[in-house]
Amino acid sequence: MTLSELAGISGDVGDFQVTVKEHPRYVDMDKCIACGECAAKCPKKVDSEYDAATGKRKAIYVKYAQAVPLKYQIDADNCIRFKKAGACGFCEKVCPAGAINFDDTEKIHQINVGAVILSPGFESFDPSAAGVWGYGRYPNVVTAMQFERYLSASGPTEGHLVRPSDGKEITKVAFLQCVGSRDENKCGNAYCSSVCCMYAIKEAVMAKDHVPGLRTSIFMMDMRTHGKDFDRYYQRAKDESGVRFVRCRVHGVEPEGESGDLRLHYINEEGRQVEEYFDLVVLSVGLQIPDHIKALADLTGVRLTNDRFAATSDFSPVSTSKKGIFTCGAFAGPKDIPQSVMEGSAAAAAVADVLAPARGQLSQEKTFPQERDVVNEEEKIGVFVCHCGSNIAGVVDVEAVADYAQTLPGVVHTERNLFSCSQDTQEQMVQTIKSKGLNRVVVAACTPRTHEPLFRETLKAAGLNEYLVEMANIRNQNSWVHSADPKSATAKAKDLVRMAVAKVARQISLQPISVPIIQKGLVIGGGIAGMAAALNMAEQGFEVHLVEKTESLGGNAVYLGHTWSGESIQDRAKKLIDQVQKNERIIIHKGFEVRQAEGFVGNFSTTIATRDGLTKTIEHGVGVVATGGRALRPKEYGYGRIPNVLTALEFDRLFKLKEQHAVKAKTVVFIQCVGSREGDRMYCSKVCCTHSVQSAIDLKQEDASRMVYILYRDMRTYGQRETLYKKARELGVIFINYETHGKPTVEVEHKQVNVGVWDHVLHRPLRIKADMVVLATAIVANPDAEKLNKIYKVSIDGDGFFQEAHAKLRPVDFATDGLFVAGLAHYPKPVEESVAQALAASGRAATLLSRSAVSLDAVKAEPDLRYCDGCALCIDVCPYHAIELVEVEADEAGQPHRYIKVNKAQCKGCGLCQGTCPKRGVVVQGFTMEQISSQIEAALAI
Amino acid sequence: MLDTQKVGSVMIVGGGITGMQAALDLADSGYYVYLVERSGAIGGAMAQLDKTFPTNDCSM
Amino acid sequence: MSFEPKIIAFCCNWCSYAAADLAGTARMQYPANVRIIRVMCSGMVHPEFITKALGQGADGVMVLG
Repeated sequence: MTLSELAGISGDVGDFQVTVKEHPRYVDMDKCIACGECAAKCPKKVDSEYDAATGKRKAIYVKYAQAVPLKYQIDADNCIRFKKAGACGFCEKVCPAGAINFDDTEKIHQINVGAVILSPGFESFDPSAAGVWGYGRYPNVVTAMQFERYLSASGPTEGHLVRPSDGKEITKVAFLQCVGSRDENKCGNAYCSSVCCMYAIKEAVMAKDHVPGLRTSIFMMDMRTHGKDFDRYYQRAKDESGVRFVRCRVHGVEPEGESGDLRLHYINEEGRQVEEYFDLVVLSVGLQIPDHIKALADLTGVRLTNDRFAATSDFSPVSTSKKGIFTCGAFAGPKDIPQSVMEGSAAAAAVADVLAPARGQLSQEKTFPQERDVVNEEEKIGVFVCHCGSNIAGVVDVEAVADYAQTLPGVVHTERNLFSCSQDTQEQMVQTIKSKGLNRVVVAACTPRTHEPLFRETLKAAGLNEYLVEMANIRNQNSWVHSADPKSATAKAKDLVRMAVAKVARQISLQPISVPIIQKGLVIGGGIAGMAAALNMAEQGFEVHLVEKTESLGGNAVYLGHTWSGESIQDRAKKLIDQVQKNERIIIHKGFEVRQAEGFVGNFSTTIATRDGLTKTIEHGVGVVATGGRALRPKEYGYGRIPNVLTALEFDRLFKLKEQHAVKAKTVVFIQCVGSREGDRMYCSKVCCTHSVQSAIDLKQEDASRMVYILYRDMRTYGQRETLYKKARELGVIFINYETHGKPTVEVEHKQVNVGVWDHVLHRPLRIKADMVVLATAIVANPDAEKLNKIYKVSIDGDGFFQEAHAKLRPVDFATDGLFVAGLAHYPKPVEESVAQALAASGRAATLLSRSAVSLDAVKAEPDLRYCDGCALCIDVCPYHAIELVEVEADEAGQPHRYIKVNKAQCKGCGLCQGTCPKRGVVVQGFTMEQISSQIEAALAI
Repeated sequence: MLDTQKVGSVMIVGGGITGMQAALDLADSGYYVYLVERSGAIGGAMAQLDKTFPTNDCSM
Repeated sequence: MSFEPKIIAFCCNWCSYAAADLAGTARMQYPANVRIIRVMCSGMVHPEFITKALGQGADGVMVLG
């Protein structure tokens, strides 16, 4: 439901009554074919929201070229017709589908739902009001979103970097970080927006790719690249791409006369005042919750934090203060794409937790008539040529194409349709297939990527196998791209139809593959993430086996005090352990380790064993790997040699127990990034900055006269954690920045521990007499990961953490179907992110567990045993490990015989095997060697 | 309220990347989903991005 | 008569075929000499197809993926 908003809500979890207001689109969605004739004729130009006002759109428009739904809409605020009755109306006149409806009205829908998820997102901070950065006054000051559009090939300049003021090629760009973030004076947003450091580096690197020799500088307070692989990108940007990073906050931008150049004043790292000129200044604007989202929160009764984000608990990161209403994405705090995707799945899992009994109640399956067997029939091909209004017919001589199709071998019927995809044509097509007894169909229209599913349904409705249709792409790949050459376009359309006819003639009926699913889950690891995943799956109604290597549940939680927001980890972990132990659907295997596994999605069989050799085998449909991580034992700063040098976890323990060294310590020095972000471990451990800042606050609050120092590289108190950093500074904690080339030193002299570091404010070395030195050590991967890597064939990255299927879009899935990852096993992260990922893993798992079988596309590889001689070349190239070698008994001649076997559940139909096989021993149905050969022949026949 | 009286449908307000993921997962798990989007098309902010960090993959 | 080459292009369904569709959406213009054959992955293109296409008179073959 687009152009729609929540207007009211009543009721309770399980049974909400929601009022949705749908604004008029003035374009009939069922009729619009997105041909663009209307926008081409529309005389009114407006700033494009999609291009962040760097480009223009018309008053009738689609949001962007790949928009879903790809349907036009009229912006009534700007449309001439709506300003003056009877005026303009060009769009209505040119629309070939008759889709324009100026009389469209607002509609109110009453909808009954069991739960609500709020995922309204964020808005970018608008820097024009604050004035200081010159945004809105100087054309060459742009926001990062605008710069993103300039970089994009689909943007206003098609990716050419030129200055908005004069079109001059850009040679020198400055990025100013924290515009609208970490700044209460100019915008009131005290929090860190968590994404700007990353997009600024990315844009700087991409810009350098676009313009060779471009100089880029990023002005920042801290570089907060705390996510997976983020620090490596940062290093590469610095070392390989040559992006310059300057640690300072620039407070003003001034124009240099009339030239369009911009002048920045700042204090460099040597403490000198510097003046520098740039062609373009990019403001790295933060994220914030706009008023309309605040209104949505008020309407639904969801509590917000002081920063206007939805308030959540660290142990239930997607549940709002209102029962049955959930949240995901930037609404509950600024976050990046993978975290947002993760929370999307997590919110789905949390909803399923409360609605489990009603699963499947409202979703329904379509029914189709009995399929006709066409094996022994002679080919009777029907060709349907689509006009697509004037989109095809305006260029291609469709009549000539249809007449030509009639002459092709096997073709018994041809016809032309104004819109082949329209509802009435579909119904008529079903009748034609039946009455003419067609057994193969070619639709010459748009692209199979969007419309093949529709025509497959048509065939099914006509009692034909859905695979007996082929599309000839005579719009996207013909009439639209050769509109200036109708003659060639018509000739090409004939060729494309000939190719499609040749291919479909060789198509056989295929049956979608059904793979049964064992509706049970296996969770490996009984820490917070593993328990949260297991509990959610069980609450959704599935049986879960929880395997924990040690004799107790809890994992790292037993060492931790409280989350960043102050919730007690001990209390919550105890509660979680209790819930897991009491849940009847969770079977706990303590003291067991995974030894061996086989199978594939829906059908895994895992053998677990104790140290004494007691083994059990578990049959399960999905698996969640949550094997955690551990704290590094450091080798530097005198650890192990100097008694007063401790790791953060050791210090926490002493401090909690009121051990006298900790109690008496008057000067405490925290050293950050011990083992993180250097050498072989070029990643940020994400939690240590917040942890040290919290400990420093505790120390100061207990005794304000203590001297507490934090020696850091970049202070990464991201998101709403920034308030802790601020609080620590207010309490007098001293923060001193160091770089890897000048790391702190820890030495003992006459029983006194001295910490040495370079002071960047005073520009001289500093020596601190410390009573206690606390090392913020890295989180390292669990060495068991390597075992699981071999057992389940799930990949691990160079740092030993598990590798997800896609860094952005599949952050909890493994590349192997049916297996998921959560918690520290994936990457260092704080509790709420572990829980979110665990819920997400459970949510993803539930998409499989909720059905007894999955249906897969029938385009799969199949061995042809007449030719396969078991040479096994295909086994090595198969990226999905779907092919295995089978040996059969020796034949009459005494020769052992081998051939391949394809596991269709694992096969994705990519055909690497077919492309590799020298003997035609394997075929991909729907794309057989014979079919592709016939297409080549047909293409070159004339 | 009895569990059986719960309604097996969900409303998601916001069709950005996170809302779409939630919608897909819920629909795949057997729930009826209403995805409500304020603008004329789903996709949200991610659709505006050119490339993504840190893989430089196309954002579309 | 000027020379009009015939080119066979094998396009992967998930990337280059989608790109060719998008070129249409953007109304980009290019010569009508290319015939696109959709495959599920460019890895599916057997070397035999390339020799066959050239043997049957194609002036060029593109494998895009």
